[in-house]
Amino acid sequence: MPSIIQISNLTKKFGNIVAVDHLDLEVEDGEILGLLGPNGAGKTTTILMLATVIRPTEGTATVGGFDIRKNPEKVRELFGIVFQEPKMLWVSTPWDIVNWHAKVCGLSTEERKRRVKEVLESLDMWEHRRKNVHALSGGMRKRVELAKVLVQRPKIAIVDEPTAQIDVVGKHRVWNMLRRLRDEGSTLILATNELYEADELSDRVAIMHRGKLLVCDTPKTLKDSIVGGDIVEIQLENDASAKIVEELKNFKEVVNILQVKPCILRLYLNKVEEVVPKIMNTLVKKNVPVTSIHMSEPSLDDVFAHYTGLTIEEAQKSGE
Amino acid sequence: MVVERDIRLFFQYKFLIILRAIWFVSQIVLFGLIASRMINVREVPDYFRYYVSGLSIMTLYSAAIFIGFDIYEEAEHGVFEYLLSLPVSRRQLVLGRSIGGGLRSFIYVGPLIAASLFVIGAVNPLNFLVALFALFLFSFGVSGMSITIAVMIKSSDRFDILMGVLDALIVRLSTAMYPLAVVQAANPLYGGVANFNPVSYAADLFRWGTGIESTYFTLANPLLPLLGIIAFFAIFTFVGVTIYDRRIEGGGWQ
Ligand SMILES: Nc1ncnc2c1ncn2[C@@H]1O[C@H](COP(=O)(O)OP(=O)(O)OP(=O)(O)O)[C@@H](O)[C@H]1O
Ligand SMILES: [Mg+2]
Repeated sequence: MPSIIQISNLTKKFGNIVAVDHLDLEVEDGEILGLLGPNGAGKTTTILMLATVIRPTEGTATVGGFDIRKNPEKVRELFGIVFQEPKMLWVSTPWDIVNWHAKVCGLSTEERKRRVKEVLESLDMWEHRRKNVHALSGGMRKRVELAKVLVQRPKIAIVDEPTAQIDVVGKHRVWNMLRRLRDEGSTLILATNELYEADELSDRVAIMHRGKLLVCDTPKTLKDSIVGGDIVEIQLENDASAKIVEELKNFKEVVNILQVKPCILRLYLNKVEEVVPKIMNTLVKKNVPVTSIHMSEPSLDDVFAHYTGLTIEEAQKSGE
Repeated sequence: MVVERDIRLFFQYKFLIILRAIWFVSQIVLFGLIASRMINVREVPDYFRYYVSGLSIMTLYSAAIFIGFDIYEEAEHGVFEYLLSLPVSRRQLVLGRSIGGGLRSFIYVGPLIAASLFVIGAVNPLNFLVALFALFLFSFGVSGMSITIAVMIKSSDRFDILMGVLDALIVRLSTAMYPLAVVQAANPLYGGVANFNPVSYAADLFRWGTGIESTYFTLANPLLPLLGIIAFFAIFTFVGVTIYDRRIEGGGWQ
């Protein structure tokens, strides 16, 4: 797939804090790229530089063929941004905010009317459309912020923690709407520190830490890249013999086996979905009855821990 | 659209607007009426009318300055980032905001100007239209100046103080409150400043437009203050664009 954004050597310093540190990254046309990292990793700063809201200290990026330094006006025409903090000093109503945004982005009166209604309805905000924004809850404000971009349908949508503060039912609905936006041809950059959200939505995930890009790939590849990341716990009716343990160790995907209890084996392996049936076959053939089996795949949490040496919680704490 | 937003934003401050209007009226009926009894010199036979017209310009000035405070409010709430991310050029943004800020102060001062016209009386329609046009440009220019300074200073407290100082210098050292001859007589330097001051230009043109100027001194050439105001407007709009662009994108507003 061709790339729509090429970031090269992008750097932003605030005084002596290096918020984004020589970042190189490409975003493919039509994908959802998850930008994952703990607080202060530099996600928002990267986004604001791409959107030409703040100027890079060093390096640059091209967006849709336009350089963000040389052609900022062309670049801005391609973007729509859901900000981390909803932007609404308006002292007005959700309907006004979304409608004004659509107007500035050049939607025709008729299309605007229809789309604003459609989107506010699907975000459960239609009945609140005439409320003063100060009377809205945090989650409702975030919904209004999202509505702007969903109405706009920009070529590239940037969503900064789109579901922070939104309830569980709302989260799934928003995710579906973002997927639909991609399916209709938009490219999405999703900044988040929620691993589950990144996993659920992203076609590829870029992990950032302290302003640097650690790794970027599909969630599946990232998870598979952790050697022995999958864990299978098998409980047997009888104690496991040394012979059967040896037998299981012969599978090339199995990295390690721990005999937790005489009758419980914990296997660290790769490609759990392919290996487990083979293991079961072997056990059945050898006449070793199994009481229960428990599998877990690595999460992006493990991926994050693998690349940073920290769990995301630890990283949050150690960041400034 | 940017214009529309600023205008609507301004009229959200209902309380402030009402207070301002009360301030204006009480300035006229209290200070104006009382002070004009005290002042009875050859240059100013009727200070009351002079004062009322000057007051209109001062009110226009302070209403147009108001947009600078919006800039801080926006910086604080991060609305800046939103405005900057819109598919609108920086030039359109600053121009739109200067015009929005100017227009809204004009709409706001409009009824007050009408009221003061009622007090002043005589109107020469053509002159008045020219003067009105000049006041438009004046209010856009002041808004542009306010935006430019706000963006340069980046601290609302300092902006507040600086605006107070500027108000004292620009407004007091203008012909808004007293004729140039009087200012000149007090101190030639003051006279020089007043003679080179957009507030003076606006006040002079307004008086020329409303026909009250002729009672004190004749505005030799209305073209000069008009050009002065056009220059003022142009400088602050275009300097504003450049500075807005430079300063804001550097970040560091929090
Ligand atoms: N305007 C600014 N002035 C000074 N420092 C800033 C500014 N904006 C961000 N920073 C610093 O840059 C670093 C990166 O911040 P950024 O907001 O990009 O992180 P983030 O990944 O979006 O974090 P979060 O998950 O909390 O949103 C932080 O150390 C932050 O303190
Ligand atoms: Mg952020």
